[in-house]
Amino acid sequence: MPNIDRRDFIKLVGAGSVGVGAGFMLRETIKHPTEQLIPHVIAPEDFSTGIATWYNTVCSMCAAGCGISVRTREGRAKKIEGNPSHPVSQGRLCALGQAGLQVLYNPDRLTGPLMQTGQRGSGSFAQVTWQEGLDKVADRLELLTAENQGNRIGLLSQGVRGHLAQLFELFADQLGSERLLHYDFDHPHTLYAANHRFFGEARLPYYDLKNTRYLLSFGADYLGNWISPVHHSLGFGHSRQGRSDVRGRFVQIEPRMSMSGAAADEWISAKPGTEGILALGLAHRIVSEGHYSGVDRDDWTTALSGYTTDQVAEQTGVGADTIRRIADTFVHTEPSLAIGGGSAANHSNGVDTLVAVNALNYLVANIGKPGGLVFNPEPAGPASQDRQASYRTMLELAEDAKQGNIEILILNGTNPVFSLPSAGFEEALAEIPLIVSLSSFMDETTALADIILPSHTYLESWGDDFPEPGVGFSIGSVSQPVVSPLYNTRATGDIVLQLAKQAGLSDAIPWSSMKDFIKDGWRLIYDRGGLDTQKESFESFWRSILKAGVWGEKTHRDPAFTLDKRVINSIAVPPPEFSGSSDAYPFILHPYVSTTLHDGHAANLPWMQELPDPMTSVVYGSWVEINPATAGQMNLKEGDLVDIESPHGQIRAPVYVYPAIMPGVIAMPIGQGHVTYGRYANRGVNPIEILSPRVDQRTGALASSATRVKIKATGRRIELVKTGGNSRELGREIVQTTGGKASQGHSAKLNSIPITVVPT
Amino acid sequence: MSILDRIADGWRKYRKPGYYDEFDYHWGMTVDLDRCTGCEACVTACQSENNLPIVGEKAFAEGREVKWIRIERYWEGEFPDVKLRFIPMLCQHCDSAPCETVCPVSATYHNQDGLNTQVYNRCIGTRSCAVYCPYEVRYFNFYDHHWDSPLDQQLNPDVTVREKGVMEKCTFCIQRIRQAKDVAKDDGRRRVRDGEVQPACVQTCPTQALVFGDRKDPESQVSKLMNNPRTYRVLDELNTDSSVVYLKKVEDDHA
Amino acid sequence: MNVSIVPALKALIPAALVVAVVLLGLVVGFWANAAFYPGTSPEQPIAFSHKIHAGENEIPCMYCHTQARRSISAGVPSVSKCMGCHNEVATQRPQIRKLKNYWENKEPIPWIKVHDLPDFVHFTHKRHIAAGIECQTCHGPVETMDQIRLTDAAPMEMGLCLNCHKQKEVANGLDCWTCHK
Repeated sequence: MPNIDRRDFIKLVGAGSVGVGAGFMLRETIKHPTEQLIPHVIAPEDFSTGIATWYNTVCSMCAAGCGISVRTREGRAKKIEGNPSHPVSQGRLCALGQAGLQVLYNPDRLTGPLMQTGQRGSGSFAQVTWQEGLDKVADRLELLTAENQGNRIGLLSQGVRGHLAQLFELFADQLGSERLLHYDFDHPHTLYAANHRFFGEARLPYYDLKNTRYLLSFGADYLGNWISPVHHSLGFGHSRQGRSDVRGRFVQIEPRMSMSGAAADEWISAKPGTEGILALGLAHRIVSEGHYSGVDRDDWTTALSGYTTDQVAEQTGVGADTIRRIADTFVHTEPSLAIGGGSAANHSNGVDTLVAVNALNYLVANIGKPGGLVFNPEPAGPASQDRQASYRTMLELAEDAKQGNIEILILNGTNPVFSLPSAGFEEALAEIPLIVSLSSFMDETTALADIILPSHTYLESWGDDFPEPGVGFSIGSVSQPVVSPLYNTRATGDIVLQLAKQAGLSDAIPWSSMKDFIKDGWRLIYDRGGLDTQKESFESFWRSILKAGVWGEKTHRDPAFTLDKRVINSIAVPPPEFSGSSDAYPFILHPYVSTTLHDGHAANLPWMQELPDPMTSVVYGSWVEINPATAGQMNLKEGDLVDIESPHGQIRAPVYVYPAIMPGVIAMPIGQGHVTYGRYANRGVNPIEILSPRVDQRTGALASSATRVKIKATGRRIELVKTGGNSRELGREIVQTTGGKASQGHSAKLNSIPITVVPT
Repeated sequence: MSILDRIADGWRKYRKPGYYDEFDYHWGMTVDLDRCTGCEACVTACQSENNLPIVGEKAFAEGREVKWIRIERYWEGEFPDVKLRFIPMLCQHCDSAPCETVCPVSATYHNQDGLNTQVYNRCIGTRSCAVYCPYEVRYFNFYDHHWDSPLDQQLNPDVTVREKGVMEKCTFCIQRIRQAKDVAKDDGRRRVRDGEVQPACVQTCPTQALVFGDRKDPESQVSKLMNNPRTYRVLDELNTDSSVVYLKKVEDDHA
Repeated sequence: MNVSIVPALKALIPAALVVAVVLLGLVVGFWANAAFYPGTSPEQPIAFSHKIHAGENEIPCMYCHTQARRSISAGVPSVSKCMGCHNEVATQRPQIRKLKNYWENKEPIPWIKVHDLPDFVHFTHKRHIAAGIECQTCHGPVETMDQIRLTDAAPMEMGLCLNCHKQKEVANGLDCWTCHK
């Protein structure tokens, strides 16, 4: 035994203590962690622990207006599904609709009112109270209104419908401002204008895909993001395999294959911008072959005389045989339907193209018939004026701002700095003394605001919607909060009501909350409703709408329609015009709204960033699609970084060799390229930056497919992040196919498309 | 009887015809490729229902993403006669599953409802099953995944969050099956009605390409669809006897 | 020449001693944690006694844990439920004053969970109550406990579940996916 002196003893005691401590901590770390059981202070009435509660409300992720049911547990939203009794979604929902949960629970949300402290664009904001923020805005509003300078107030919102739209109308009216605009990058201006020219009403009809047997789509990615993709998908599925006697067939005409092109039986690439000429070529064939026998037959013959099959084949690059075959099938397969949109509508001749598409429907007399095109009745709710700003209108707004005619600009959820090409919008904003944003996120436009009054997300707010287009009869839906607000934010409607109150407008706008305003509005629908509504009190009517999430009136429009002769005589599609000479800029740029990120507003949702692009499987980035032969000639391979230059700018992106795009066209998805929109969004490039300011002449809508570009290899390359291995089957027979005959008579009647939207 | 024989016997028993007759269900799914548009609503629905992680760009580039159902895409032909064909690919719940034979701890096995199970707390992460799976639908957790607050508030309490080192895959939404059985018991029914239980992907499919149900019930939609002449199984030559049956895409000539 | 390793070892004795003491300490520390802080009977923010409530006053379990027959979770009573009685009963006792404090500040009581299952286990109270299982089968004789704790008879471990499922011949009761999620 060694001698242990005092010092050794102290050392040993020290070692022992360390051991004891370590042993104690060791068990502490491997021990089952302590969990807590936190009870309610007062038990809530509407949910029980461990049992899911579902709320019916309305999706706001795109303009389709699907009814949704949100599953909540212990007061938190867990899952979004389609509302089975809602005629638009019928229980189904798209990827973007599901990802709405990540708008609510996004880590980059604005959590309270902010005031810009440094220079605009410096990104330095200080937190303020709601009172401070509201006072500052309301005082200026009151001052301008009192001086009769209300028109110096601008209100720029994303597209809104229902009572929120009406509230904005009321607010602008009381302020004395005529500058109330909605702006969405992908709003189908040309379609509204074409319907106005052809049918005499600037509204969207219902396209009955469900019952059609032959669909011609001119550029409209109806399964991807055109107008109402979930409802179109329901119709597509049913048309394909839901009927025992017939399988619907689909033809897609576009320069770059979209999701709808992949689903179609036949994909035809006409030269960009000549889709309308092709439509008239088909019309010519139908009329000249004697398949049209209406009283105005001679007018059509005259109007279409310049669109003989051979001429059209030459102009569009589509074979004469194909034109004849499609025209004959279109007229002989009843019912058939033609739709147009997307890139076909985004040219300098966009409206004319879509008028030509309407002409096809007219010639096969499918208007008002099942499987055709059905007029929608007046919306049941507040008929808001069409406030959608075209590109030209936005330029005028920018010009006004530069002239110093706008003193306050209130922004609501729209992001023109990101989605407006070469408009000098940022410079215009610099001339506006006070910019207020009601956005929930720090988007590129909000980053330039002086005061940010962040609004709730749609899952925390009251609202309502009257879907446009409807489904052939009147429907409306109320959206209700499904969770309590997460942060110190307020509902958009409540902010506007509060501003109105503080600006001294409470005589005309007396409501204290958006819920009251909506409820009062629905009282009108209740009072007017001739159906069964009068049997019950308004309160029980209101409760039943909240429970069902939707209200409908099965009144249909009279399908009768007479076409004005002048419309026939004026039918013509001029050739498309492009910016940039074809020598200096050999490629036509085909920018398309991303299926996953839409116009970029979904870029901050991690589920959407990680959702492979349906066609290329690329995630988390930008890319440029090039025809394989062209890529071969230019010696470009996947991942090669190239500079894409237009007369208006230059961006850099990696190449994706895309088998289904015309030579001479390159395509890029819109959606990436954010810089202030949060941790998931700030990546990639934004092709809107290099678009030319060319517009459709009739509407002033941006002709986003009318820019010519050139590409230069940079010599650098990156690895594209995408799923999957080889994009060819290599004989593995993974996706098997069969001829058309085999499927006849064996289609399954699935028992859940519960709602027939068109009288049969 | 040696232990090897016993194991072999165990594996063999549910491959006998009529094995499932003594139990209540034999779950299956049909996928109509003529309806599928590749929209990937199913992918997000699954991600949302089953607490699938957000892996981030770097892990994605390494091929370490987790998607219990994914859309595969195959190009056919060259411009202008080019086609893109989609196929949803998920765990096929094979009745003769290659993955089950190889797990050293029986964390994956076949249960009485015809489901290919994955028991996370038993899994030790050898990844052998992923190697044996010909459909490549098993996903390994290379990381402890993290949800930036408050994204974690969305997590479904009916499904656990898997930790690093554990294999995971499609469960046919076992939590929903369990829930449906619970409701049936409350109603005094022995069996779940057809259509009463739908996995998240089937529930949301906007074209109704996916249909789920009990293959033992001859009146169920899924049983009827399985009699369609268009049916086939992916990689059928491997005799996996999968519970997911595809319906061929119809491609007629243009005439 | 005789070579001995003893001198070399002798030189190591002080180091070995230190290591031995550290290891001994490790064991003692581990044991001390297990013995005095087992986590199976933690001190609660309010010393609520099941013995007084469920035992002496014979209040039925589901008077407070109302969700048990309806939901997967039994539920903890809300503070207002406690106050429903304690507005009148035993209002001056120190523990009840604590309760009143929580109530007046509108704060929930941060109870520590004792009967806790891992996240990968699906357990539903509803089905077990419907099958006529007594609460005590899994939770132990709580009506005798002043401070709630895990007991050896009801340790909240998998064996307990499986034994019972075997005994009662629960349909598919031994399948992993009946309970594991």
